[in-house]
Amino acid sequence: MELTDADLVARVLVDDDQHAFGELVRRHQSSVRGLLRQLARSDFALADDLAQETFLRAYKNVRSFRGEARFSTWLYRIAYNCFREHARRRKELVGIDEEQLQSEHDPQVADPGLRYDLMHALSLLPLPERTAILLCCQNGLSHDEAARVLEIPLGTVKTNVLRGREKLKKMLTAWGPD
Amino acid sequence: MDEQHQEDWLDRQLREAVSYIDDEGFTAQVLKRLPARRPGRRPLRAVILLGVTVLASAIAYFISGGGRFVSLNIERLAMLPVLWLFAIALGSGLLVTTLGLFAAISKTSDLQS
Repeated sequence: MELTDADLVARVLVDDDQHAFGELVRRHQSSVRGLLRQLARSDFALADDLAQETFLRAYKNVRSFRGEARFSTWLYRIAYNCFREHARRRKELVGIDEEQLQSEHDPQVADPGLRYDLMHALSLLPLPERTAILLCCQNGLSHDEAARVLEIPLGTVKTNVLRGREKLKKMLTAWGPD
Repeated sequence: MDEQHQEDWLDRQLREAVSYIDDEGFTAQVLKRLPARRPGRRPLRAVILLGVTVLASAIAYFISGGGRFVSLNIERLAMLPVLWLFAIALGSGLLVTTLGLFAAISKTSDLQS
């Protein structure tokens, strides 16, 4: 029987069960690292450092998870805060690593060129629009959940998604459907 | 090309661009960096459980008039026919074994999952 995230969190809370926490990390590492890689404009090393920091903070603050939102939503919020703090400290974001992107060919996507252009276009969006697009369109969060993650009003999330999509569509006109 | 068609296309491309990132030791690294387990929580729970049990037993002992019901029931049991005693012992044994097995199996499956 597969334990739910809530069951695993309960084990961490009651028994300080690090194996249960390990299972939570295993389940969510891909989506958290994926989000951070795109926020960090494909600086994979930085993204993985921030992802580790995200999970460490989640472990230390697991008592503040009240189960009102999904565990993944709560993690995204921590990840976004980690990223924001890092960006504030550094005051600059690392540029896109073209070699890394090209080597990350995803067989699901028919055209690796399209994936590259899409990632590049995403990286060109301003941070608020990029984050809103990543959370809502790529990771399947509702606008309401994204607003909670980003701690901004719901209307702002909707505007950022709308603007981001418009810009992406313009930048990807050449690849658009016939 | 209509607006909706284009939006659907963009959403699909965005979703498909997400590829699963293999763990490749990431979880192990996180677990290595976790702070040491908080000491003293399990012993504390055991002490609380034991304390509550002893307290409840003492209360039950005094409420029941010095545990007189225990000796009364032992006397009643002793007066039962041997076959009845055997049936009660067998039933109790089976019940305890079943409960123990159930607990062991559920604990094992939890650990495996």
